[in-house]
This record gives sequence, structure tokens and C-alpha cells, in this order.
Amino acid sequence: MSTTSSSEFSGWGKNFQSRSERVALSSIDELQGLLTKAGRGRGFLPIGLHRSYGDSALNSGGTLIDLSALNTISIDASTGVAVVGAGVTITQLERAALMHSLFPPVVPGTGFVTMGGAIAADIHGKSHHRTGTFSACVRRIKLLLASGAIADYTPEDAEFWATVGGLGLTGAVLEVELQLKSVKSNSADVTERRVKNLAEMIDVLGGADADFEHTVAWIDLSGDYRGRGVVSLGNYGATSVKSKDSNSAGPKLPSIAGKNFITPLSVRAFNEIWFRKPLKNGPVALGKYMHPLDGINEWNNIYGRDGFLQYQFVIDIGKEEIFERLFAGLRSLKAASFLGVLKKFGEQSQAPMSFPRRGWTLTLDYSTKVPGLEKFLQEFDEELVAAGGRIYLIKDSRVSPSLIPAMYPELNKWREIRRTMDPTGLWQSDQARRLHLC
Amino acid sequence: MLNGFKNPGRIALIGGSSEIGMAIVTQLPENKSRQVILVDRIGEYALDVTDKAGRERVVARLFDEGDVDLVVIAVGLLGNNTELSMADNLVAAMEVNYVGTVHLLELIAERMKKQAHGQILAISSFAQVRPRPDNFRYGSTKAGLDFYARGLALALDGTGVSLKILRPGFVRSKMTAGMDNAPFAITVQECGSYGVRALTSRRLVTWAPSLLKYVAFVFKSLPPMIFRKISSR
Ligand SMILES: Cc1cc2nc3c(=O)[nH]c(=O)nc-3n(C[C@H](O)[C@H](O)[C@H](O)COP(=O)(O)OP(=O)(O)OC[C@H]3O[C@@H](n4cnc5c(N)ncnc54)[C@H](O)[C@@H]3O)c2cc1C
Repeated sequence: MSTTSSSEFSGWGKNFQSRSERVALSSIDELQGLLTKAGRGRGFLPIGLHRSYGDSALNSGGTLIDLSALNTISIDASTGVAVVGAGVTITQLERAALMHSLFPPVVPGTGFVTMGGAIAADIHGKSHHRTGTFSACVRRIKLLLASGAIADYTPEDAEFWATVGGLGLTGAVLEVELQLKSVKSNSADVTERRVKNLAEMIDVLGGADADFEHTVAWIDLSGDYRGRGVVSLGNYGATSVKSKDSNSAGPKLPSIAGKNFITPLSVRAFNEIWFRKPLKNGPVALGKYMHPLDGINEWNNIYGRDGFLQYQFVIDIGKEEIFERLFAGLRSLKAASFLGVLKKFGEQSQAPMSFPRRGWTLTLDYSTKVPGLEKFLQEFDEELVAAGGRIYLIKDSRVSPSLIPAMYPELNKWREIRRTMDPTGLWQSDQARRLHLC
Repeated sequence: MLNGFKNPGRIALIGGSSEIGMAIVTQLPENKSRQVILVDRIGEYALDVTDKAGRERVVARLFDEGDVDLVVIAVGLLGNNTELSMADNLVAAMEVNYVGTVHLLELIAERMKKQAHGQILAISSFAQVRPRPDNFRYGSTKAGLDFYARGLALALDGTGVSLKILRPGFVRSKMTAGMDNAPFAITVQECGSYGVRALTSRRLVTWAPSLLKYVAFVFKSLPPMIFRKISSR
């Protein structure tokens, strides 16, 4: 039986409060039955775990379809092919795969992401320069269409690529078939290096592509904003390590009277400690290496009642001077981010709305209460677009809709395919309305 | 939708030529995706606030065209047109300040409830605090509006829609031109900035200026004898 409840939902950034119905379905038949009910002006939206930061998984006044009941995993150990329900999380898949010495080739910074969410955002991980996005390992998806029909799509189909990065607006992914990668152990061999500034970081990261399967850098954007940090490089390891199941066992950060604890001072202190911490060298459990923050539950509470936003963009290699301008602007605003991440991307996927493409991607977190931040980001967006860059929509909560066609030049192509899949506009989201996506 | 900074995108200003309404809308934090729709006697969204069918038509159109994040209702008549009798002035003020505005609020709230988000700002007045011989007619229309708006705000609880009330005192504007400055008079721009604050305030009512909250308290507490003396001055 399905359960329906009406309440307030937020993305991970907690900077939106959106009221809608949520239907948790226990079967696909039930879901088909639900869609045929007429007269729902605000439409439907499939959701995962609301790990998207902004309003991608919100649908005010409409209905959210919770597919967590689709939780089966079956793995063919001989071929490494897995058939996985849309509600399965990355962490669950990793654990099941490791039992056969397999691992998903692309995993994001948190393991609390569902297969549906991974497809809808065409997520990337530390391996992007080698493996591309999540869709690169996907061989087939099963999709529930607006008509109630169920269809299988493969990378041969335009519908496949419209759904990849399609933000849930082409239909509900029910099942995913993907190719896992064989690994020798449950660990990664990790090497970390401290760097003094952005130039050195770019140098080290940029030079590591050939030797390392996983590359990422943590960047300190507080204090003097020179971009010092720690570069983390890794390969799948050969020696197994003990790993405790960290799934929801970790401490939980409470929300204390809805207050924001992220101030320039606390960020500086935290970043200083992080920068000085002993560097890792050697094997680290894959789960821990891939999802370092998952040990702390609900860390998003530290930004308080008004929430925060994540700003992630990509810019071509050779256009690095834009970082200097960004850092100078953030510095003058005294906007301190305690989770800056820099990564070098590899090739773009075929999906019109997929975010990653060759270049540098920088990710920053900010309280929405930083004075002047909104205006500054609006101006920076324009510079970014002029330099050929774009932002990651699954993280967005504030971009101007007029910039989307320039950021995503294949928007119209996506719109056309989407329209054939959903001529009546059944699938809707707050983000789609805010950014006039459909 | 309000964006992640709680900044409205698509806005309707009903009473598009209202100085206070304009001062509110222009002082909102900048938003490159902002669209402000002016609903006024003339123009694309023409509306005679006293026309019931017109009110229904314009509200339907506003919401049919897309989500509305914020509606500022800034229509109002003082009822001091020297060409009209006192009684006719009263009826005109009632029709705009009470009947028209309250009906608009009702229609807008209905549509906003369907989208499950949105903000409404209604402009009441200090004049509704306690009847005074010089402005109780106008005050009574605002008192009706204020009473209704407070009720509507309660009824909207839990719907995702929020309603806020701005209660200005004497604002130096076209509407009050030629009148003597009352105590605590503020400029239109100042009033606008109180309106902007009202939108993010946790309180239902924002006074412009803030001090009026205490003045209102004193006004209401004064014994009738003393109040009569003060207000007849
Ligand atoms: C700490 C943290 C670290 C992160 N690190 C990374 C990272 O390294 N790389 C990266 O790319 N992203 C990263 N993300 C973002 C995250 O991967 C995406 O936001 C992802 O989409 C969230 O998945 P979800 O299951 O929570 O989906 P939700 O947030 O609930 O939904 C996200 C989108 O997916 C759609 N969707 C969900 N389920 C389905 C379905 N069954 N069918 C169709 N559409 C569906 C929704 O409609 C919505 O548009 C991170 C997020 C957090 C919180």
C-alpha cells in the first residue's frame, strides 16, 4: 500500500521550504495507477534522498514520488553487471559489489545518493578524469513515462540521454543496469600533499591525471584566500582494510536553535586545523575515502535555520584567471567557505543537460546570510558565462534563468526530446519552474 | 518560487502607481530574474479595483501565466475628494480599501494555496488603531481590512503561503499632499524599506516607523476622556 503525507521539504541546503505531498509507493502498479489520476495541476516528481542542495527535488503544491521501495540489487559476479532498483543508494551498492570484489566506477562525495538521483544529476566523482560521469557505466534504464507506460532505454536512445542529467523531468527511473569494475580489495591507496596556493594546487592536480584514478583537492578559501590546501590522490588498493559500517552510525550534528555556526572565524579555525592535520599515506577503506563526510549525520544543520547553498561551476582549462577574481570578490565579502573542493574533469558525456565537461570544477559552500553574496554571485555568473563556464544545476538555488541557455547550449534539444516523452507536462519541479527549464 | 536567498522572482504590485508600493518593490534585494507586474487602472494588467469581475479576471491571469512569488496590495483611498460628499467619499473608500482589497486578498490566497508558496503584503494603517473624529471613516475601512488580513494570515498557516501586514503612520506622499505633517511622519522611501523588512520579519505586523507600535499601545490604553481631548486637538 502506498502512504501519502503532506508536509514541508527541503533540499540538502535547507534554504527552501516547500510544501507538497509525498507518496511512498510499494509497487510499480500502484505508481502507474497514481499517474492516471487526473486533475493534478502541479504535477509529479520522482525523488531520492534529497541530497540535491536546492530545489531540484522539490515540487511545491504537487506530489513527490518516493521510490525507496525499489531497493533490490542483483549482481552477476562473472560479468560484473548489476541490476539495481532506483531507490538503492550508492553505499548499499558499494557494499553489495565489494562482496564480489567489484565497485561502482563512479561514486559521489556522499554515499547517500540513490540510483535515481545519480542518473538525474549525471553525477561525477573523483574519478571523472578517467571514467567520465555515472552514465558512462550505465547500460540500460527502466523508465516510467508520463503516459504510465514503462520503457527500457539504452545509450542508443535519445530518451536515455535526456533522462541522464534530466533532473527527474523525463520520467521516473525504476531500475538501472550498470557495469561494475573489478577491484582487488576494499581499499584505496591514498597519497596526500599539502600545497601553498592555487597555482601549486593546479599544478599538482593537473599533473596527476595519468598516475591516479582518483584525484581531488581540498581548498582553503578563508584567511588570505590564496587557495592553499591538500591534494588527495588515490588508486584502488591491493590490501584489504577493516572497515566499520558507518551507515547512519555516526554522530549527528544537532541544530541548536536554528543558529548558524559558520562564521569567518569558525571557518578559519576549522580550515587551519584541517590544513595542519597529518597527511594520509597508504590504504584507506574505499567507503571512507569516497565519502569522508558520511560519518557525521546531518552536518547541514550547522548553517542554521536559513540554510546554505553550494556553488559549483566548471571552467575551461586555460581560463584559470577567473579564480583570482572569484577569490578577490569572496575575500572582500569576507565570505568564508569551509568546504572548497577543486577537481579536474575529463570528457563530457553525451547528455545535453549533463554538467561535467573538460576543465576545472570548484565547489564552495556558503551561508545564505553572507551580506552581498547574492549580488556577487549574480555578477560572477555573468563573468563565468562570458568565459564559457557553467554551474551545476543539482546544486543551484539562485541562478538567473536567462543564463541557462548559454550555460547549457543543448537545452532546446533536451526540451524537444522531453516534450515527446511528457507532452502534457506531468513531471514538474520547483527548479524547473524557477529556471523555466521545460 | 523565492530563490535560495528567499528573494522573490515574479512579483505583482496591485496599485501599480502607488508610491509606497513602488518604494517597496524597488527596495527589494536585487534579483536578475525579477519580473514585476504592475496592476493599475491602465496598462496591460488594467484593473478597476471596484470591479468584481475585473478582480477575478486579473488574479486568474496573473496566476495562469506562472507562479507568483509576491503580491503587494497597495491600493487605497483616503476619501478626501472635495468634489464628493462625505457619504460618497466614505462609499468610495469602502469599495477600494475594504471590498476591493479584501476580495483581492481572498482570490490571491486561494491561488497561492494551490502553488503552496508565496507571500502577500497588505497595507493597513495606523488610522485603524482607534477611531478619531478626523479620520474614523478612512480608519474603519482599514480596520476592516486589517481584521480580515489577520484572520487570513492565521488561516494560511501551514499552507506554504504567508501574509504580512504593514501599518504605516503618516507618509509624505502624493496621497497626503497638502495635509499637515502628523507626528512620526516618514517619507515614501522610508515606508518602502519598512515594507521590505515586513516581508522577512517573523512578525505578522510591521509598523512604519517601528515606534508606532508603542504609540498605538498608548493610544489604545488611554482612558476615553483623555483620548477625546487629545484627538480633538
Ligand atoms: C555531501 C554531498 C556530497 C555530494 N557530492 C557529490 C559529488 O561528488 N558529485 C556529484 O555529482 N554530486 C554530489 N552531490 C550531489 C548529489 O549527488 C545529487 O544531488 C544527487 O542527485 C542526489 O541524489 P538523491 O538520491 O538524494 O536525489 P534527490 O536529491 O532526492 O533528487 C535529485 C534529482 O534526482 C531526481 N530523481 C530522484 N530519483 C529519481 C528517479 N527514480 N527517477 C528520476 N529522477 C529521479 C529528482 O527529481 C531530482 O531532480 C553531493 C551531495 C551531498 C549532499
